[in-house]
Amino acid sequence: MKKVLIIGSGISGLSAATYCAAKGIEVTLVSPYSPERAQSVMASGGINGVLSPCESGDSIESHIEDTLEVGCFIAGKEAVKGLCENASDIIRWLERLGTVFSVDSDNNIRRRAFGGQSHNRTCYAGTSTGKQIVTALVMEVRRYEMAGLITRRNGLDFYKALIRDGICYGAVLYNEIEDDFELIQADFVIVASGGQNALFGKTTGSILNDGYVAGKLFMQGVELKNLEFIQYHPTTIDTTNKHMLVSEAVRGEGGRLYYTDNGNRVYFMEDKYGAKGNLMPRDVVSRCIEETGRDVYLDITFLGKKEILRRIPEVYDLCMKYKGVDISKESIKVEPSVHFFMGGIAVNNKHETSVHNLYAIGECASIYHGANRLGSNSLLAAVYSGKVAGESIRSVSVKEHNIDFSDELNNAKKEIEAINSAKGTHTISRIRDELATVMKDDLGIIRNGKALQRGIDKISEYQSCVDKLDISNNDRVYDGYSLKAILALAKATLICAESRKESRGAHYRSDYADTDDKCKASTIISYNGGKYSTYLDLEKEFEK
Amino acid sequence: MRIKILRRQSSDTKPYWQEFNIDKNNELSIAGVLEQLNSRDELRDIEGKSTARIEWECSCLQGMCGACAMVINKRPALACEVFLRDIKTDTITLEPLSKFPVIRDLVVDRSIIEDNLRKAHVYIEEFKGNNPKVYDQMYSVGKCLKCGLCLEVCPNYKSGEKFFGTAFAHESFLVASRSKTREEKIRKSYVKHFETGCSKSLSCSVVCPMNIKTIASIGRMNKGK
Repeated sequence: MKKVLIIGSGISGLSAATYCAAKGIEVTLVSPYSPERAQSVMASGGINGVLSPCESGDSIESHIEDTLEVGCFIAGKEAVKGLCENASDIIRWLERLGTVFSVDSDNNIRRRAFGGQSHNRTCYAGTSTGKQIVTALVMEVRRYEMAGLITRRNGLDFYKALIRDGICYGAVLYNEIEDDFELIQADFVIVASGGQNALFGKTTGSILNDGYVAGKLFMQGVELKNLEFIQYHPTTIDTTNKHMLVSEAVRGEGGRLYYTDNGNRVYFMEDKYGAKGNLMPRDVVSRCIEETGRDVYLDITFLGKKEILRRIPEVYDLCMKYKGVDISKESIKVEPSVHFFMGGIAVNNKHETSVHNLYAIGECASIYHGANRLGSNSLLAAVYSGKVAGESIRSVSVKEHNIDFSDELNNAKKEIEAINSAKGTHTISRIRDELATVMKDDLGIIRNGKALQRGIDKISEYQSCVDKLDISNNDRVYDGYSLKAILALAKATLICAESRKESRGAHYRSDYADTDDKCKASTIISYNGGKYSTYLDLEKEFEK
Repeated sequence: MRIKILRRQSSDTKPYWQEFNIDKNNELSIAGVLEQLNSRDELRDIEGKSTARIEWECSCLQGMCGACAMVINKRPALACEVFLRDIKTDTITLEPLSKFPVIRDLVVDRSIIEDNLRKAHVYIEEFKGNNPKVYDQMYSVGKCLKCGLCLEVCPNYKSGEKFFGTAFAHESFLVASRSKTREEKIRKSYVKHFETGCSKSLSCSVVCPMNIKTIASIGRMNKGK
């Protein structure tokens, strides 16, 4: 029986586990925490799919076109076609597993409008679609656990992949409960580790998603792609802990963005784009807010408390709970925040990475979204990518080997000893804080070559002291060993942004404000002994 | 302002209290306080002693994942949903949930919740279609965080060996409402592992961060008999 190790138990990891188990593949699903803690539970909007009966004029072709257009024509065409063609089956499958989708009086799954879509095709489960899908997938994984096909283990952090001669054989994991390393060998490894929010400090996502897995794999020779494309959500509230998303529904209900100038309100989106200016795409609104250089507010007071509580109760509660602001009485201060990563581990149409038998799925992988993501395609991509990886693994034959990896455990322990015994002056928390500042300041919504180079130089400085940290036994083992790869990923992201000398989708450069057809391809970045190399995938090697 | 934390290095060492000075910032949640303490270059207690970072679980920091469940001033709650502005004492106490084995500091092993759902085979198997009459409660229980607060406060839940508690009752209801093949079996499990042990104090509903009404799940499970 084939064995697969899945790293991460959010929606993509759970989906891959169920697809693999359904095909008789033995799965070990590992994660630091249980699926209920995954960022997937925060996805509220919905999941796209052209289901029958669909809105008049809608079609799978239209969904494909919308996805490719929003992605500025650098997403994988064949992959997007597969994604959209399978959407209906996936949503029906999720419903059969127990997802409590919102339904109309005829028992049809309800659809809502979403930014960038030419038709209403976003299926939803109230305001907690991601959470409802997680609940259903966990039940299905449970079924396979009882059948002996899935083993689920929490409390395990990824340390490194077992890679020899370009082939992956499993992973070394750090067991937080036992405070020790362990080795899990498998015929295939699927990485489902999510995006890299924590590089930026406060974002809208989970602080557990720090990009370490992608960064470590990058340092182990796995190629990454399109890291420069980062989606900002224009309207979030800034709290002491994080940025909390204020739903687009507020602007959908007529909410107006403004700043004040000499006591007068300036409705800058309406001034620039007319009456529907507040509903422009996320990247446009984010850029406009950034360009004001001022505090920006969102006003929905004119709707009145009764209607606000009826139409957008979650937003009312959120602002009241975390900012103490009654949005029926006063405007709420908003600012853009990092929200989603279109880039990640480079995968082909089968979700294979540049290392054999190593797959990547979900937000940590890059193929469906190109330069920008169509709203509500992320949950679809999370499930579909798990299915594709499972199907691919099913068709690949396994070769026997007798490689002895036992040294890997000793090497891991030695590395931890070396980190702990270093006598430096830089603390982990200080470097992580400074890193977040660099990423926000030098790789913001509006970028330029000078700032990007400054960011690269700063990270090089941090890298030069990463082996001389001030580590005491007071720091978590994971925090100590993860820093180097997190810095490598951050630097790779800045290098990708510096290398793309044009503006496209979520990547906007003030020094190269136009889109350049010569750059109509994905950025691929690789790492070799401390050297970072990029190229544009004009030959579409990762679209096969 | 002070925060007093019941700490423990591992499950086989003795717990001890440790106090820290914190700034009173009304906008901060308890989760925010813990983050700020851990982000200090060096963490020192009120006696100036250098100490290990405080171990606690967190992910979403906005009441959607259930990771940061703990006992705050003797009341079970999510740390990200309790704010300093609402705390009336000069010293805040934090303790790990008491119904679960402690791993370290405020981190507990809640795997018993999932283990019991596994034991009772709580899954759909074959979908029987939607039932609009119970949609609201199904949607509500689909949001269960598995945070353990309901079990912490429950007078009947001990170690989870026989009485599985509210999280199990909710998910049993979901399966009974949606499964064609498992409804009968899940109802039997429900009687054995919930109904016979529940004294209906309903304190579970009071502490539930998702505001899931236990009585609604119980009512629906009883109706199906």
